Amino acid sequence: MRVAVTLNGRPLWLDGHPMARLLDVLRASGMTGTKEGCGEGECGACAVLLDGRLVNSCLTPLAHAEGMSITTIEGVATESTLHAIQSAFLECGGAQCGICTPGMVLAAYELLWRHPDPTEDQIRIALAGNLCRCTGYMRIFASVLEAARKLR
Amino acid sequence: MLAASTEIGQGTNTIFSQIAADALGIDPDDVEIAQPDTSVVPDSGPTVASRTCMVVGKLVESAAAGIRHTLVDAGFLTAVFTRAEFQIACRRYVETFGSLRSTSQYTPPPGLVWDDDKYLGDAYGTYGWAVYVAEVSVDTATWETRVDDFVALQEVGKVINPTLATGQIEGGVAQGIGWALYEDVVWREGRMVNSQMTNYIMPTSMDLPGIRVYFEETPYPYGPAGAKGIGELPMDGPAPAIFNAVANATGVNVTRLPLTPERLMDLMDA
Repeated sequence: MRVAVTLNGRPLWLDGHPMARLLDVLRASGMTGTKEGCGEGECGACAVLLDGRLVNSCLTPLAHAEGMSITTIEGVATESTLHAIQSAFLECGGAQCGICTPGMVLAAYELLWRHPDPTEDQIRIALAGNLCRCTGYMRIFASVLEAARKLR
Repeated sequence: MLAASTEIGQGTNTIFSQIAADALGIDPDDVEIAQPDTSVVPDSGPTVASRTCMVVGKLVESAAAGIRHTLVDAGFLTAVFTRAEFQIACRRYVETFGSLRSTSQYTPPPGLVWDDDKYLGDAYGTYGWAVYVAEVSVDTATWETRVDDFVALQEVGKVINPTLATGQIEGGVAQGIGWALYEDVVWREGRMVNSQMTNYIMPTSMDLPGIRVYFEETPYPYGPAGAKGIGELPMDGPAPAIFNAVANATGVNVTRLPLTPERLMDLMDA
C-alpha cells in the first residue's frame, strides 16, 4: 500500500502493508530517531505527532496515517538549530541514556503548543505516557519549564 | 582521553572532560574522548559499582596532570598559560619528541588490601553517605502507599557537575521508590513472567513526589578533586525510609519489598 503523508513538512509516499506499524515504516524511511521501547504502547519512546497529536507509533497502523501530517524528532529542530525544547533538555539534564528523549521532546512539544505556560501538574499529566528510567523525571520537568520560558 | 568507561547517559564523557581540563588548565570543550573500543583504549575495568568517577576519574586526573608536568618540565609551558600557549607547547613537544602521552595505572590507596584471586579484602577505599527522608500517605481503603515528599542529603566527596550529580540522585531515588512500592519481579519456572511494561509497573511522571536533593562535600583524597562514587547509593536508601514512614503511619513493620496494596493489606490483617 502507498500512503500519502506529510513527513516533517515534506509531502511524500510511505510504502508498506496497511497494518505495518508506523514505527517500522518511519524507521525504514530513515527516521531512526523514533525509538522502539516496549512495542506495546506503554512507554512512549516511539511517540510521534500525527496532525499535531501525540501517538505511539508502535500501535499506529500505516493505513491510519493516510493524508496526515507526521512529525518525528527529526522534524523538531530546524536545519542545524535545536528547538528550544531540545536545548532546554541539554541545559537542564533532561536526557540521560536518551531512549525516552525523542518521545519526551515530542510530548513536551504537544504540551507547549496547547499550554505555553504549563503548571507542574500539566507537565506531569502530559508526560505520563512517556516512561523514563534514568532521570526520575525531575530534570525533565525542569527542562519543559525552561523551554516554556525560552518560547515566551 | 582514552579510557574504557562507557557513557551510558550518566555523564562520564562530561565529567571526564571536566576532570582532564581542570588538571590540564584548559577548557573542557578542548578535551576529546575516544570511543571505549577496547582495541584502542586501555582496560579501565567495567562501568559499574560507582567506580567510574572515583577510580577512573582519578586516573584521568593523574594522566592529565602528567601531560601538564611533562610540558612544564620540558620547558615548553610555564605555570600560567593561555589556550594558544598550551597548543603551541603541545605542538613543539610532539615535533621534538614524536608523541605526547601520559598513562595512569590504578594503585590502591595506602592501607587498602584486596585479593583479586580470593575476592577478599576491601575493594573500596571509601563510600558515600546519605540521609533520606520520605513522607508518605497510606490510603486505608485501598492500602495504596504514596510518597508525598522526598529529601535526599547526599555526601559525595565533591560534586563534579551539579546538574549531572543531581540527576544521578533523582534517578536513583525514583528507581528506589519504584522498587519500594511497585516493581515486583514474579518468577515462575526460572523465568520472569511479568517482563512487560504492561505488567511490570515502574513509576511514571504521575507517581513520584518532588525529589529534593542536597549535597554535602567532604573531599576524599584519592578521588578526582575529592569526588566519590554516587551511582548506586540513591537506590539503597529510599525503600527503608519509605517503610519506616509506613510503620510510623500504620504501626506495621514492613520487611519485604515491593509494598504493594495486597501485601500491606495482609500485614494490616495479620
